[in-house]
Amino acid sequence: MSAVVAIALKDLRQRLRDRSAIVLGFIAPIAVAALISVAFGSAGSFHADVAVVDLDRGPVATGFTSFVTGPDLADLLTVEPVTSEADARARVARGDLSAAFVIPKGYSEAVTAGSSRPITVLASVDSSIAEQVARSLAQSYTAQIDAVRLSVESAVRAGAPASSAGLLATQASTLRLPEQTITQPSGTRPLTGTSYYAPAMGIFFMFFAIGFGARSFFLERTAGTLDRLACAPIGPGTILAGKSLATFVYGVASLGTVAVVTSLAFDAQWGPTPVVLALILALALTMVALTALVITVARTERQADGFASMLTFGLVLLGGNFVFLGGAPPLVRNLALLTPNGWALRAFTDLAGGAAWTAAVTPLMAILAFALGTGGIAFALRGRVVNR
Amino acid sequence: MLTADHLSRTFGTRLAVDDVSFQVAPGETYGLLGPNGAGKTTTIRLVCGLLSADGGTVTVAGMPVSMVARKAKVHIGYVPQDVSLYPDLTARENLSFFGRLYRLRGATLRRRVDEVLDLIDLTDRGEDRVESYSGGMRRRLNIGASLLHRPRLLVLDEPTVGVDPQSRHAILESIRTLGSTGLSVVYTTHYMEEAERLCDRIGIIDQGRLIAEGTRRELVAQVGGRDRITLSADGSLPAFAQACRSLEGIERVDVADSTVHLLAVDGRSRLPQVLETATRTGTSVRSVEVDEPDLEAVFLHLTGTALRE
Repeated sequence: MSAVVAIALKDLRQRLRDRSAIVLGFIAPIAVAALISVAFGSAGSFHADVAVVDLDRGPVATGFTSFVTGPDLADLLTVEPVTSEADARARVARGDLSAAFVIPKGYSEAVTAGSSRPITVLASVDSSIAEQVARSLAQSYTAQIDAVRLSVESAVRAGAPASSAGLLATQASTLRLPEQTITQPSGTRPLTGTSYYAPAMGIFFMFFAIGFGARSFFLERTAGTLDRLACAPIGPGTILAGKSLATFVYGVASLGTVAVVTSLAFDAQWGPTPVVLALILALALTMVALTALVITVARTERQADGFASMLTFGLVLLGGNFVFLGGAPPLVRNLALLTPNGWALRAFTDLAGGAAWTAAVTPLMAILAFALGTGGIAFALRGRVVNR
Repeated sequence: MLTADHLSRTFGTRLAVDDVSFQVAPGETYGLLGPNGAGKTTTIRLVCGLLSADGGTVTVAGMPVSMVARKAKVHIGYVPQDVSLYPDLTARENLSFFGRLYRLRGATLRRRVDEVLDLIDLTDRGEDRVESYSGGMRRRLNIGASLLHRPRLLVLDEPTVGVDPQSRHAILESIRTLGSTGLSVVYTTHYMEEAERLCDRIGIIDQGRLIAEGTRRELVAQVGGRDRITLSADGSLPAFAQACRSLEGIERVDVADSTVHLLAVDGRSRLPQVLETATRTGTSVRSVEVDEPDLEAVFLHLTGTALRE
């Protein structure tokens, strides 16, 4: 056991003296997570600056303005009045506004008369989400008006006096269409960009250690130090255990540091400490298994480097470390679950959203299963290492 | 101390080591001499348990050696052909690490590291990283790393390849010193002079086979080599030559000007008789040279090729 620790400490000492390992393992993930979170803001919440161009000035148009400036939409929209459509169009084109509603002249009159006069939505090509939100709001308001009109007309046709139509309309307008969909959030907090990209970048750079570990093995071989180790009375398993322990500790330290620093400095939400720690340990175990796999498959240092790079980038691309997969098609989201980092990110986002610790159980099991499977393949191929 | 018994090892279809057997006694320095690619390194790797043998056995200090044999490996100190150290660690860190692998701990480890640094004359540079060392210093440390655990058998695989003459001399002297302390040494080389200078016995290996073995003298004798004694002298040289012809072991005597050439079996042992004969015949000897057939000649005789081909 002490020889295992000696090998691990030696490897860690070497790694700490390698500036690139420090940068990749500790500095880069924090820096990139901070930059991305600043650049993207929150990944789970949405806010847009919009304008209302009221060319009608009638009661129905005023009702629309009241609707979009109401307290229900205050978190979603910042609304400002703009006097002309041309001005609104120019500001949307410049990106000053995400979208603008143009209420045409005669809109209220047309609605009262039962004819159609649509609200125009102007949107920036760079703000597709804002466009969708704005369009939905306009449609929602129109649907509400249609509902009022239909209910009044139905009441009159059923025998209500035509003189009471105004009163009926006022009463009907206080009613709202029933909700069509119900959002059942897994947590209680909105997901911020930092809370997503801190673990995403931490895992990405942690996976760089696969290359470090594999290269270290082949460097020992080419430098002849592996022969020295093999000549010592310790056995081949001790060497592999020592190197695995170093990789494991490096991985835990790397992702653990990212978790602590981003939590304290950037207010990233990672979740309950014991659960986060369990996820980090499971990921580090996966990293050890992947390192062992690269060592067994590769035959040279260069091959190890290539395999490790392909593995790292393949996993992080598929797992969603670079792009938030929340809005991705189901196929892409399912593919992410083929990767340990995909499962880890699912757990971290759930926990960051305030979900209970039980939300991490399935991801944890999946990550451990991946580590076991990969480690099993590496173990089955161990003869390739010994017999070279 | 070491017994290699009918060792063989194949790589693919190539037989790298073919039925090699030899023994090394306690305190003996044994040389494995052969050209590059002869099978020396493979033999060494089998001896140290770095390769598994296809056939045959190795025992060190009476214990069998294999890739997983821990007890036997405690007694082996292995010096690889290339400098096998961690350049980003200091000499002290390198030595401490290798010491820990042999279960040295605490004060014992620190004391032993100090002793080895002193032995290889690197005490002043012990805290410097190996990457800042000269080639000779690295070579010395490479040997030192194998001595920490006080092995009973030191195995060196061509430790002077690519080394400048000064460092080479220092390395050979340190190995000679280690050999004189009772340490058994196996030394592989393709330099005939090194084998002659260091080794008590030499095994000549070629194409994976141990083709001859013995002391230098025994090897030379195996090929029927004779020593050439050359004397520069004044006086009655024909009479001296005639007297020498009757001496035992002197096979041929030639006189040219003031020089007498004798062809002798075991020339060094005949020298006292020759000098006594010179005195007896009134010949004043100014200088004497004894040229013995070297291992190069032995190798040429045994294989039909030069050692350095």
